[in-house]
Amino acid sequence: MKNFFSPNQYDADQLGYFGQFGGSFVPELLVPVLEELTKAYEEAKNDPSFIAELENLYKNYSGRPTPLYFAENLTRQLGGAKIYFKNEGLNHTGAHKINHCLGQALLAKRMGKKRLIAETGAGQHGLATATVAARFGLECVVYMGAVDVERQRPNVFWMEQLGAKVVAVEHGTKRLKDAVTAALQDLIANPNDTYYLLGSALGPHPYPSMVRDFQNIVGREVRAQHHEMENKLPDYLVACVGGGSNAIGLFNDFLNEPDVKMIAVEAGGRGVEKIGDHAARLQGQGKLGVVEGYKSYFLTDDDGQVQPTHSISAGLDYAGIGPEHARLFETGRVHYTYATDDKVLAAFKTLARTEGIFAALESSHAVAEAIRLAPTLPKDKTIVVNLSGRGDKDIFIVAEAVGDVKWKEYLKTKSG
Amino acid sequence: MNQIELQCQKIKQEKRLGIMSHVVVGYPNLEETQKIVLMMARFGVDFIELQIPFSDPVGDGPVIRDANTVALAQGVKVKDAFELVKKLKQTDKIQTPLFFMTYFNIPFSYGLEKFCADSAAIGISGLIIPDYNLDMESREHFDELCRKHNLILQRFAGLDSEANRLVAQAKDAGGFIYCFSRRGITGVRPDLDPNLDDYLGKLKNIFKQPLAVGFGISSGEQIQALKGRADIAIVGSAFLKSYNEGGLSGVEDKLKELVSARDQS
Repeated sequence: MKNFFSPNQYDADQLGYFGQFGGSFVPELLVPVLEELTKAYEEAKNDPSFIAELENLYKNYSGRPTPLYFAENLTRQLGGAKIYFKNEGLNHTGAHKINHCLGQALLAKRMGKKRLIAETGAGQHGLATATVAARFGLECVVYMGAVDVERQRPNVFWMEQLGAKVVAVEHGTKRLKDAVTAALQDLIANPNDTYYLLGSALGPHPYPSMVRDFQNIVGREVRAQHHEMENKLPDYLVACVGGGSNAIGLFNDFLNEPDVKMIAVEAGGRGVEKIGDHAARLQGQGKLGVVEGYKSYFLTDDDGQVQPTHSISAGLDYAGIGPEHARLFETGRVHYTYATDDKVLAAFKTLARTEGIFAALESSHAVAEAIRLAPTLPKDKTIVVNLSGRGDKDIFIVAEAVGDVKWKEYLKTKSG
Repeated sequence: MNQIELQCQKIKQEKRLGIMSHVVVGYPNLEETQKIVLMMARFGVDFIELQIPFSDPVGDGPVIRDANTVALAQGVKVKDAFELVKKLKQTDKIQTPLFFMTYFNIPFSYGLEKFCADSAAIGISGLIIPDYNLDMESREHFDELCRKHNLILQRFAGLDSEANRLVAQAKDAGGFIYCFSRRGITGVRPDLDPNLDDYLGKLKNIFKQPLAVGFGISSGEQIQALKGRADIAIVGSAFLKSYNEGGLSGVEDKLKELVSARDQS
């Protein structure tokens, strides 16, 4: 049972600290709520029937295991290490997020909760939450900044089709962080019947550990699949990192394997020189801080005020990074690099043309790093890239970025 | 002795309810904040919370949240809050005990020890940091640093906290205990929660410190209703709301309403 979650020496302590990072910096009113959650989660993860139910959902609802695909064309073109893609985009709902949404919804049901609430930026996490809420017959409220509601109408539409109520947050900056606050405040107001389904491996304890555990399936599958195809461990693991759920999901099972090198790719945006141009917390501009309930690196000013970020991919456009990543950065276990928007877009196109795969713009950050790395390595090395999501959702951004004239005309025609 | 403790004693001796009021530093601007604070002092509120604006105020409802956003958009810095207190204390000779209220990342980024030392040096008596709870104390030692500098780090009594947790909050707590009139967040609401008496009754058995009730307190009637039940009423967003609706004279009217309700026998 324990092995299902691959415990290792980087795990959090009793208080939820990963080294100096993490913890649970929440108002007193939330402490009992999180204590209840921690207790319920600890029990569930040691309960064979909970794991069996989760495995069943992974397999029969989400379509796991997702393939580990050898990208022969891309490998040949780059002329170096062999590139494998862990295609999480083939999950139900098109991304890895469903893994921890299923785990958390199952836990919510076990705890007797009636409502799922979530925050969402671009809408992907809200969509995954609305999906599992529909599946488990739970009421669903998704908080979304009013600015994002305006920009992401398709996701709002789908969430509503799934029966979720999407609340546009009209206060503060009307963005993701205001949605997080609104969701936390809903939880404070309704602690008895409500489960807050957090969207990444961050926030107060136990969320970073729990989300990692529910994503651990990704790395475990990779281990078995890679062994079957190569009869060894992978040499490199590469994943994009916003909050950090897909990266920790790929890495966690291998953290105790010193020969497996790991690279996490942050959003370099328009370049990492100036705050506001990127969402790279570990490239020199992030500051140690405590925001949204956890201690980690954040893009803040000297006073500690969270600063605006930019990335071509909404999912990485976030000022903080999950606390376990901060720990893996500090210890040097994982190497953190970045990819800029233009490199990401180029990688998106390359993968589409060579392998016939649309990677999400988030995942395209990892693809960009693999394209850089592969030619520098000998041919007997392997790189496993977490293709955390599929790119269909990014049609508006990609069409705009490549300047497709006919697409623009199409939008005009449709709106007329 | 800490000024907050002295004021608590005074309230007790005068056998009346105390009032704590609240401003967001730099909302709508620093000059106006200073005027509002002085007005609150002139009306004889017992404590004033000076909220240092933060980009992610998780414990605050819409009214206070928007005030934080406005203050930050105008470029208000942490050092402005310190400057304001210096003026209030040194130039205006304000006697009312003052709290800095803000979120943990502000003192953390400033340097916890330096924040405590500098706050104490300018005459701040206590800190209210909603997102710091005592579970983190064994790692962060913030309460310890506050004590070292004769500051009271505000303690809270959660609505659903187990008795052993409340006992831990009571231990060594200075000043008063921050209690919640209802679930949820800061913001103006019309009625007192019907379960308030049970909750406060439970707390009275655990805490020897005065009980202050906040969240949703906004009217003279509520102040009246709190008499005999609680020791201090905490009024936050009601003042911001009054300011938004009627400027300084709006705040003045609200102060009149609340203080006269307090002083009515």
